[in-house]
Amino acid sequence: MSAAALSLEVRHASKAYGGVQALVDAGLDLVGGEVHGLIGENGAGKSTLIKLLAGLEAPDRMTARLNGSVIEIGDSAAAYRLGLRFIHQELNIVPALSVAENLFINNPLPRFGGIFIDWRALYRRAGQALHSLGIRHINPRRRASSLSAGDAMLVKIASAFIGEGDSGEPRIMIMDEPTAALNSAEVALLFDVIDRLRARGDALLYVTHRLDELFRIAQRVTVMRDGRIINSRAIAETSTSELITEMTGRSVADRRAGASVSSDEAAPRLIVRGLRTDAVAQASFSLASGEILGIAGLVGSGRTELLHALLGIAPLLAGSIELDGRTLPSLSPARAWQLGIAYVPEERRSQGLFLGDRVSQNITVPHLDRLSRLKMFLKRGEADALSRRLGEAVRLKSAGIGQRARQLSGGNQQKLLFARAILAQPRLILLDEPTRGVDVGAKYDIYRLIRRLAADGASILMVSSELDELIALCDRILLMRKGRAAEDLPAAGLTENELLERCYAFE
Amino acid sequence: MKDRGSTEPARAAFSPERFLRRYGTLVGFILIVIFFWTQRPGTFMTIPNWVNITRQMSILGVVAFTMTIVMVTGDFDLSIGALASLVGIVAGTTFQNDGAVGTAVALSLLVGAAGGLLNGVLVAYIGISAFVATLGTLTVFRGLALYISGGASIYGRVIPAEFSSFGRGAIPLGKIGATDLALPNLTILAILALIFVFIILNYTIVGRRLYAIGGNMEAARFGGIRINRLRLLSFVISGLGAAVAGLMLFSRLSTAHPTQGEGLMLQAIAAVFLGMTLSEESQPNVGGTLIGVLILGVLANGLTQMQIDTYIQQISTGAIIILAVTLSSLSGQQRHYGRWLRRALRRLPREGD
Repeated sequence: MSAAALSLEVRHASKAYGGVQALVDAGLDLVGGEVHGLIGENGAGKSTLIKLLAGLEAPDRMTARLNGSVIEIGDSAAAYRLGLRFIHQELNIVPALSVAENLFINNPLPRFGGIFIDWRALYRRAGQALHSLGIRHINPRRRASSLSAGDAMLVKIASAFIGEGDSGEPRIMIMDEPTAALNSAEVALLFDVIDRLRARGDALLYVTHRLDELFRIAQRVTVMRDGRIINSRAIAETSTSELITEMTGRSVADRRAGASVSSDEAAPRLIVRGLRTDAVAQASFSLASGEILGIAGLVGSGRTELLHALLGIAPLLAGSIELDGRTLPSLSPARAWQLGIAYVPEERRSQGLFLGDRVSQNITVPHLDRLSRLKMFLKRGEADALSRRLGEAVRLKSAGIGQRARQLSGGNQQKLLFARAILAQPRLILLDEPTRGVDVGAKYDIYRLIRRLAADGASILMVSSELDELIALCDRILLMRKGRAAEDLPAAGLTENELLERCYAFE
Repeated sequence: MKDRGSTEPARAAFSPERFLRRYGTLVGFILIVIFFWTQRPGTFMTIPNWVNITRQMSILGVVAFTMTIVMVTGDFDLSIGALASLVGIVAGTTFQNDGAVGTAVALSLLVGAAGGLLNGVLVAYIGISAFVATLGTLTVFRGLALYISGGASIYGRVIPAEFSSFGRGAIPLGKIGATDLALPNLTILAILALIFVFIILNYTIVGRRLYAIGGNMEAARFGGIRINRLRLLSFVISGLGAAVAGLMLFSRLSTAHPTQGEGLMLQAIAAVFLGMTLSEESQPNVGGTLIGVLILGVLANGLTQMQIDTYIQQISTGAIIILAVTLSSLSGQQRHYGRWLRRALRRLPREGD
């Protein structure tokens, strides 16, 4: 390899998914000996860009140069051959194997005579790989299942440097939110490793939502928004608030079309006092009928877990939940639906839908008791008629109530879950990321639905990572930090920047 | 079967490949019938022979129908064969102790329900995978049957005549031409079990919930379904099915042997699998299970009439099951099969659990 520093230059990267432009003419420069931070809101195009570099998606257009010469990244094997290494936030570690075997997972194990595994050489080389990154506390003979999340991440990183003829020449490493699941001690260890990689001349792309991390380890930072590169410059030339402004960017004012009116006179619909579960440290708040309360916070701050407590999925360790003046003794999802608590989960495919079943079955599942004769025989005609009516009410685009949920688009699948919630004639609706992964048209249909449900008197508790959406829809916003409901703010007059800064605020 | 066609989206033009994938098992069944018809023209396609086939299949039918309920939720029940044997021994022992037929039947059903309850508690409440739990109870039930009986068969004069005559009895339906037509009692029991399971799965809210659990257990729980109770219930029904089958077998053979039900489990699962090939989403469905049972029954009957060695019969039956499932797995549907299997496998215990 030449003495010149490693460099990867990406130009004109563009990618559209079915008419939605996910990436527009993006460019990026990675240089050896530098950690390059990449930030942006969900849907800004970061993951798309990474997928193009990893050869997981074919670009509509892209020019990439490695050390000055043009390269083609046709598939993931090509990316690997070119020396690109990817660390994703999910740890695909095989728990049943040893650390050493996990390190060699993409490479042939050392052998005797071509057949038998040379265990001693395996452990020795694995130990060397870990030591070269300054990792001395992980024994290569350990079972991977006994590793903490942080150590598993370190093993994954070390595995990127094992391979035929991998004698320590610099690599291009792309890390996608590596600290998402790590605690602060583990993060410190990871940063030591990153510093070491940088020192030996690796070029790192570091994707994160945590801005404070960038100021600790990155030299450059690039901001993406709506599929475009907004700005790219040395980290020393910018500040947290400037980065946040660039990330969010858009004006909120024009979207605030009539947030619902709260009725303060009435007794609150929901009162939560001192709620604690294994994932929520403390939450107290109240919610009036017709009110929309947004829940903001970083990933892992306990937002989803708060909803789960109210649905009875996570048992209460302390505190009380009062609905319409009645303290709820102990909840289960079945009981919650009966009481008029409806839920639209975060992961609609794995937690919400019966993909192989018909639209009507998907809508009616929680309500079968009401659609039965003697709590036993299904009133099929009534169930079908109601499903049809609700499908129309949520503007579901389907080929009829007999269509399988699998065949619907993401937005229509989400509307299906709303139809299910509406059938509950809900008093309280729990929404978790209600517009994630839906197209723009469906998004506005969903906003309209949420407003109408509130206007009809339902109380709505809504978790969202899209801050503009929270500010535009909600009456109040409950801010969660590290499992605590830390602040309860009126949404009117709040800006995305303020909200984001409060999310990042230290306790 | 289900009224699926009516509200389905417009289909693409007819393709023979898709037709075969979707209805291949049914076509195969018809071909098997035609084959035996041509081979044994005088005896196979006659009313007495078909009545006979229904009697021969009735016991398998009962367990396969109730097994369908368990498999709808994505579980298995491997213990039914051993439970059926145990129930036979319980009834036989009751007769040895001068118990009345009513007492024996009541005790048998109780044992069946208790066995199913045990399976259900292990799977739904303790959280052991159905595969391991029912493999364990299979061994327990077999051991109990052997222990109670001392390993010996129960037969002869201790068995009340009314009990053993039931299994051979039939309700006369009159004459067709020169032959007397009668509906065997065992066939009637199988038909009742079929109707029972059909109504549960297709016309009750319990059935809709069972399908929801099998489709996506987490979504079912978040959607307010009490999944533990329903999984327990499905195992209890399967246990009751095993008890009824055990009594039918005992009555028909007039003998209770501690291992006589063991062939039922694999055949029942095979019948459900064959039936799943006839569902668009590869869901277990009792109409399909009926076709599966018919295929197994007709094969046994026809091959016996052709005087084919019973060992060869086993080989050909196995081959036909594999062929049917392979055919329906080609391209399109294999994803569904894969999904069902992955779901089932995911519930197997893993290292570190």
